[in-house]
Amino acid sequence: METVTKRLYEALFLVDSGEAAADWQGINDHIKKVLERNEVEILSMRKWDERPLAYPIAGKKRGTYILVYFNAPSAKITDIERDSQLSERIMRVLILRGDHITPEDMAKDTPAILAEKNIAPPAGPKAELVKELETLAAEDDDEAPLDVDAKLD
Amino acid sequence: MRGQNFKKKPDKTNRKKKRRDNVREQNQCRFCRSKTRFIDFKDIEILGKMLTHRGKIFSRKRSGNCASCQRKVKLAIKRARFMGLLPFTS
Repeated sequence: METVTKRLYEALFLVDSGEAAADWQGINDHIKKVLERNEVEILSMRKWDERPLAYPIAGKKRGTYILVYFNAPSAKITDIERDSQLSERIMRVLILRGDHITPEDMAKDTPAILAEKNIAPPAGPKAELVKELETLAAEDDDEAPLDVDAKLD
Repeated sequence: MRGQNFKKKPDKTNRKKKRRDNVREQNQCRFCRSKTRFIDFKDIEILGKMLTHRGKIFSRKRSGNCASCQRKVKLAIKRARFMGLLPFTS
């Protein structure tokens, strides 16, 4: 007899911003359908953020990210990925195992929610780390030999 | 004027020496110090600062990360790049 083990996963879906703004419920239902087709038990599904993409994907310059936490049989993950790739409404998907994720992590405010409520991100060890890293970025002198390229542009 | 210019840009040997001293002050990398066990690919604020303006990942020597944290950072940056959160190059 085969036993099916379900694990916690974290998935980030990238969809077109225009489409998400026009038909938010529709795109949510679409993602839900893709997941539920594969025996997935959705724990939480929220908008993570709406932001410009670092590079154009499928000709789009802005994207909306949807963060989903779910329990699923591990064998079904490849099916979810394939279904997402075949879907025209989902631009990218990244599914990671979420063994380290606690319910508190799941309930944390996403950047989109923070922006809506107009609250600054909470201070903590992370904020200190960001501050520390600022000095690293300020010292960035890697670009010197590439100045030639800049002139060509 | 000349003197001022000289002050702004100290010669390279001095600068390198200063950086090496900074590294020696700490015996743990910044992620170990803040007790980060898992580096999330969605933390773009942190990961973005681990990149040069061109989008290259800072070396261990440059970022001061320990080997294990540098690997975690590398993986997180590569995941973020795939999702279009960070640039491959710019």
